[in-house]
Amino acid sequence: MEIPNKIKWRNKNMATIVEAVNLKKTYMLGKVPVEALRGVNLKVEESEFLAVLGPSGSGKSTLLNLIGALDKPTDGIVLIDGVDISKLNDNQLADVRRRIGFVFQFFNLIPRFTARQNVELPMAIAGLGREERRKRAEELLETVGLKERMNHKPTELSGGEQQRVAIARALANNPSFLLMDEPTGNIDSKNAMEIIQLIKELNDSKGVTVIMVTHDQRLANEAKRTVKMLDGLIVEDVKS
Amino acid sequence: MKVADVLSYAFSAMKLRKLRAALTTLGVIIGIAAIVALLSFSQGFQNTITTQLQKGFATNTLIVSPSSGLGGVAQTPLLINDTEKIDAIENVNMSVAIMQNQCFINISDRTIKITVIGVDFEKYKSIYESTFVPAKGNITIPPQNDSIVIGARIHDPWQNGTIIADVGDAINITWTKRSDGGLYQNKTYTGQITAVLKEIGGFSIGGPSDFGIYIPIAYAQEFFETNECNTIIVLLNKDDKATIESVSNAIKEAFSNQVSVTSATAVLNIISTVFSSVEFFLAGIAGISLLVAGVGIMNIMIVSLMERTREIGILKALGMKNRTVLTIFLSEAIIIGLLGAVIGIVSGWGLANLVAQLGIFGGRFQGANQVATTQISITPVLTPTVLIGALAFGVIVSVVFGLYPAWRASKLKPVDALRYE
Repeated sequence: MEIPNKIKWRNKNMATIVEAVNLKKTYMLGKVPVEALRGVNLKVEESEFLAVLGPSGSGKSTLLNLIGALDKPTDGIVLIDGVDISKLNDNQLADVRRRIGFVFQFFNLIPRFTARQNVELPMAIAGLGREERRKRAEELLETVGLKERMNHKPTELSGGEQQRVAIARALANNPSFLLMDEPTGNIDSKNAMEIIQLIKELNDSKGVTVIMVTHDQRLANEAKRTVKMLDGLIVEDVKS
Repeated sequence: MKVADVLSYAFSAMKLRKLRAALTTLGVIIGIAAIVALLSFSQGFQNTITTQLQKGFATNTLIVSPSSGLGGVAQTPLLINDTEKIDAIENVNMSVAIMQNQCFINISDRTIKITVIGVDFEKYKSIYESTFVPAKGNITIPPQNDSIVIGARIHDPWQNGTIIADVGDAINITWTKRSDGGLYQNKTYTGQITAVLKEIGGFSIGGPSDFGIYIPIAYAQEFFETNECNTIIVLLNKDDKATIESVSNAIKEAFSNQVSVTSATAVLNIISTVFSSVEFFLAGIAGISLLVAGVGIMNIMIVSLMERTREIGILKALGMKNRTVLTIFLSEAIIIGLLGAVIGIVSGWGLANLVAQLGIFGGRFQGANQVATTQISITPVLTPTVLIGALAFGVIVSVVFGLYPAWRASKLKPVDALRYE
């Protein structure tokens, strides 16, 4: 397999952000092969708010891992900003991930860091200077409504607040899109609605592209487009 | 990621588990401290021995003694007038015969078994002009038959002012002679102390000693009923290697290889060689403890790696490269190694000085008699080689043992790491 030395990013005015072509992923569960994805085709355009809906085992998490450049496909292509990730090495995949804003179900904040330090982390990884990232972290925390609590550690924040920090962190490096895995799965319903409102607002007013994986139909209803998955295939693609 | 950020990240991870980091560091501290303490102490010890030897053992002297074979029996004894033969050799300034015998002496109601040395006071004084010097009394030349010169520690054995023998005191010297028929016979004479030598410190080979009792050679010859001597000290005109060698060979030749010739320089070289191997051995033992500390680092880092698998997953999801993960983990090991090495050097140095102060180890030496023990003070020496070597060794051990866990951390697949509970 040929590995390009330098990633050639897509032209900025191209509208397609993520594209999956005949995507297949087979895991080995012990000695038994499990086909998690059996040929998924998907195109996500800029400023979309897409929900990937499906029961557990439908392959939506596998799809998320592939779109998030966390894993490589068994077959097929994933293009992120026009780059085929199946041809990239570990280092280049890390570069691709810097263009993706991950939001996880269990927040995945670093417990020993304050909210602000957590938001600064991806910028530090990208090599931004201290002053610059501190300023930006404060702005982002203000955007998600947590400016007052930026010096608190995750354990001192509620689930909803932690997820806001995670969203601010996801936005830190101006990602091409936000990739969310059950973002409200671990939050009570009141806070969940607020998180959803925040996501919608980011999408509406700032044009942030959002890909959200969930098994919750109500959450999916908030998205502009819903893709339903079952047994490793996309079975429905609806725009609201 | 910037170096400062990598380091601050590594620090923050260590701060979270302070006790664990401290204990791991302690392992390195102990290893490095042991190395530094042992090496600086033995270096100091070597320096002390060398200086002490140089004091009582001029570099421009040679010691001639009867060559003894495997059984330790001298083939042909040296005679007192053999000095004439030696004096004839080129580059020899003078030579002095030394006769030694174990005797009992009576001073202040004490009976002490001690070596009594018969020398030519005049020549001995010329060779050891800085040490065969009276602190009290006079070394008269030519000496009276019954005159006795004593070392400073015979005069004041405990160095606290308790004088057991002083100028003008009479001493009974008893020598047990074995006659041809196998009978033991005691011979005694009473001498007068005419001088007390100034304190020399340390010990010497051939030269004057603080524990010496010196009597004129002419009288020793009569009292011990012999013309044989134990050693002949040779004073050279020059102390360069070529002269030492040529004179040594000439002496051996003059005595048909029946004598052995020892130079101060050769003795010092032998001591230095012995010390090098002792140091090497000690450093090896201490090095092993540092390796154990290294295994500790590895162990703790593997545990830390497992605990932080998810965190590594998060870092990778946020775009951290493998080599940065590797650097973070390696930095933690290096911080431990560096910190441990620095604290270890300081505490090892402190320990060596403490031991030297207390004289716990190697500080006391039994003297050549039962009068007193001699105290040798040792000043530990920390050479730049030991300093830099210890620092480097600490860091290298931590890197070597930290490399595997760090490499494993860097190779974690983000998707697996994120799923890790």
